[in-house]
Amino acid sequence: MIFSYNWLQSFFSRKLPKPDKLAELLTLHSFEVSEVKKFKSDHVLDIDVLPNRAGDCFSHIGITREIAAITNYVPAGHLPKGDKLPKNNKNNAKDFISVDIKSQSYCPRYTARVIGDIKVGPSPKWLKDRLEVCGLNSINNIVDIANYVMLETGQPLHAFDYEKLDGKKIIVRFAKEGEKITALDGQKFDLNPKILVIADGQKSVAIAGIKGGKEPEIDEKTKTIVLESANFNPTIIRKGSRELGLKTDASLRFEHGVDPNLTESAINRAAYLIQKTALGKAFQGLVDFYPQKVYPKRIKLDLNYAESLLGVKIPEREVKNILTRLGFKVIGIKNPLSVEAPTFRLDISIPEDLVEEIGRIYGYDKISSVFPTASLVPPKRNDDTLWENQLKDILKEAGFTETYNYSFQKEHGSVEVENPTSQEFKYLRPSLIPNLLKNIEKNIKSFDQIKIFEVGKIFTDKTEKIMLTGVAAGYDFYQLKGVVDLLFNKLGIAKVWYDDYQATPAAEGEPRPFGREDSPQSLWNEKKSAEIKVGNVEVGFLGELKNEPKLVAFDLDFEKLKTLAVEDQEYRPISKYPATVRDLAVLVPPTVKVEEVLNVIEVAGGSLVIDVDLFDIYEGEGIPDGQKNLAFHIIYQAQDRTLTSIEVYKIHQNIIKALEENPTWQVRK
Amino acid sequence: MAKTTYLLKSLKIKAEKEMLHAKDLKELDIAFKQYLGDDGELTLILRSLKDMPKAKKAKIGKEANELKNFLNIKLSEAAATLKEKAQKEAELKEWFDITAPGKKTDVGHLHPLTLVRRKVEDIFESMGFSIIEGPEMETEWYNFDALNIPKDHPARDLWDTFYLKNELLLRTHTSPVQIRYMEKNQPPLRIIAPGRVFRHEATDASHEINFCQVEGLMIGGPASGYPISVANLKAIIQEFFQRFFGKSAEIRLRPSYFPFVEPGFEVDMKWGGDWMEMGGMGMVHPNVLKNAGLNPKEWQGFAFGIGMDRLAMIKYKIDDIRLFYSGDLRFLNQF
Repeated sequence: MIFSYNWLQSFFSRKLPKPDKLAELLTLHSFEVSEVKKFKSDHVLDIDVLPNRAGDCFSHIGITREIAAITNYVPAGHLPKGDKLPKNNKNNAKDFISVDIKSQSYCPRYTARVIGDIKVGPSPKWLKDRLEVCGLNSINNIVDIANYVMLETGQPLHAFDYEKLDGKKIIVRFAKEGEKITALDGQKFDLNPKILVIADGQKSVAIAGIKGGKEPEIDEKTKTIVLESANFNPTIIRKGSRELGLKTDASLRFEHGVDPNLTESAINRAAYLIQKTALGKAFQGLVDFYPQKVYPKRIKLDLNYAESLLGVKIPEREVKNILTRLGFKVIGIKNPLSVEAPTFRLDISIPEDLVEEIGRIYGYDKISSVFPTASLVPPKRNDDTLWENQLKDILKEAGFTETYNYSFQKEHGSVEVENPTSQEFKYLRPSLIPNLLKNIEKNIKSFDQIKIFEVGKIFTDKTEKIMLTGVAAGYDFYQLKGVVDLLFNKLGIAKVWYDDYQATPAAEGEPRPFGREDSPQSLWNEKKSAEIKVGNVEVGFLGELKNEPKLVAFDLDFEKLKTLAVEDQEYRPISKYPATVRDLAVLVPPTVKVEEVLNVIEVAGGSLVIDVDLFDIYEGEGIPDGQKNLAFHIIYQAQDRTLTSIEVYKIHQNIIKALEENPTWQVRK
Repeated sequence: MAKTTYLLKSLKIKAEKEMLHAKDLKELDIAFKQYLGDDGELTLILRSLKDMPKAKKAKIGKEANELKNFLNIKLSEAAATLKEKAQKEAELKEWFDITAPGKKTDVGHLHPLTLVRRKVEDIFESMGFSIIEGPEMETEWYNFDALNIPKDHPARDLWDTFYLKNELLLRTHTSPVQIRYMEKNQPPLRIIAPGRVFRHEATDASHEINFCQVEGLMIGGPASGYPISVANLKAIIQEFFQRFFGKSAEIRLRPSYFPFVEPGFEVDMKWGGDWMEMGGMGMVHPNVLKNAGLNPKEWQGFAFGIGMDRLAMIKYKIDDIRLFYSGDLRFLNQF
């Protein structure tokens, strides 16, 4: 919000610190000043008044109180209560206008004055200048004074032409269905029963707390005005403002809340200025609907608690001084103090609020850093983080680059966003794969090989879980399988195996979310994909992606992995005795799985076969049609002796015999 | 006699020439054998001396021996030159350009935000903070009400929120984890909660619809012997920034407003001469403690929230937050 430096200065007889210095003081003790700039002979301060302080600080007087508290300067200039109205009009306002408020819950206070004999015209220069600095246009002396008093006190005011009010009454009510209003600037609004209006005997004349209507507008012929200074329920104004898409200086203040006690001093201030600058004569009496007066709150302040919360002892005298400068009354003498908060401080209700006031004016920079003297409790270990870090490190070592993608995607999610920022982000991602594919697409022009992964949340209905997903281009199934094997190996998960990809039929009525095997949007090429299992538990998938024959991917359920992971690792003693390697080639029909052959070799070989290593799969020239050749290194070793060639020969023969028990398999000799 | 003398002269010319022109030690060796070897031409002449008449023997012997000495000198000179030449050639062959570029190793890369998160976690863990996580889809209660942000209050405008059709919302901050943790754990406690948060806003170089935050919470109380204060908060936060950015990082607290803390602050860090806003924090509001089932008369403490994207942007001098979520390998491969 914009404030005028000269205006603030006008409240003090002492010279204020220079604009930049003042801005720094306000930033450190009250609100951040985002900009200071010269404006003609004045300076503009753009102050980010905190939302809980809008009630008192969307006004020059509010900022003046802050400055007074920070600098310890005493404001000497005008503060609203000081204005006494000259009594030169015998008419009584109450005889001219009646106010009818249906419920105090939406209008806690309505104050009005009638001022006659006014002469509408252009504003004097001083008034125009002040409004200009604050970014407001000058309209005429009456409207300008209403705005001026708002900028000064924070109380929005409105003036109606008395002659244009039907029935000489003011009613505060909700709009009727279908009711319309034309605002002062000519804009037309369709009203509804959620919007509070000010009406006369016939029609709406203003959108309460938001904007005045065109009809009872002040013009050059206006002689008598009704000046409104009211207090409206913040929630109703906020909703109305949203409903109409209309934010004004008035609605901004009302929706944050304003002190109901302010209406009176502000209306008197405005009436006083109108008498002075527009020759008006205020009628006697104040029309005032104020059924439930707001009184100052008293709060107990325990100075020991203040000290324990701030971590610094501020002398009692200084505490009292700070609070007094801010407009609080300190009533008690002994600790705990009884502190009366002025009603304009809508933000103050508990002792902690007072502690903040004391702390910030005292200066947070004066509080020295002190490490807590907490007991020496080591932090709890977080296994999720531990395994997540480990998995990321393994993938990084395997040459994968980590990406972070949006949690949103364009289509196919089960969780839809009520208010997406774009059509691209309509759903929460049900899988990490689609966004990873976008990454591949984006980078494929610059790189021959891409290996990327992401660890992140995916969303289904009301549940979310962490997935670990990788996609690679320029990489084949077996290379990626090697990476997955490495992951499981490093997690200490031994029982991992790869099962045929098969659609697990959904139970009746069970949803088939995106990416599930049997869902219409299954992501995998069934023929070249595997289900990754540990024991009987399916923990993820590995394979080629559907419609993306050049890409391979793995998709692992992190929540399952972390429960299976084992941290303990035992080393396997290295045999002191030499190993013997024998090669073996076997011809099998093309659909025989390597694993089947391996199983036979391992079973027949027994414990002295310590490793079997497939080094070639070949079909084609030199191999009979309809067969493929699998070639293995078989490594023989014992822990306790050197194996003799006869021992090795016998086992090797056993293996060959076992393999050839299958009539379609043939060991090549 | 003149014949032998002549022979010696022509031998001298021939031998010297061959020795001088030998291209390498091997050729020199051939020349040596040709003249001075066991069956060398000069050796044969010297051997024939014993059969010569005395006068001739004296003369020829002298001449032949002189020639032998001469050739031996020439030979060793030529050998020295050739050796040097051979060594130079060998050196040239072995010459190695250490400035040629190394071959690229195929390595992977962790995301800069992962690197930052690890560093943040390390620093706070070393100060006794446990790492806790919470859900990204939240209820209104945990994201707002429990944090003392009432419905229809303008304060809610501080958080532009994504609402979901499953009646949940995307958490706008990591603060709900405070409540979830306090509900289940008795103080004193010290936690940080890193994670992804969401804001419904237009993206630009400094705004994203999802980004990463770290929440911190430390609760103690007179009952546990150590009430937690603003002075403590300052110490922990200062320590964090100095460990993260280096000893020269200077911080300040200035007043701010967050409904879940009282007093509330914004922490600024001086970096490159300017004060930069780093995060919001304050003393946990009594209503928040109550909402989490704790008695505010017994417990007090601080909470903070720091943007990790911002930490990364300052640390690595990144000027556009959107790069983090771009998946651009030209960016990611730099980390």
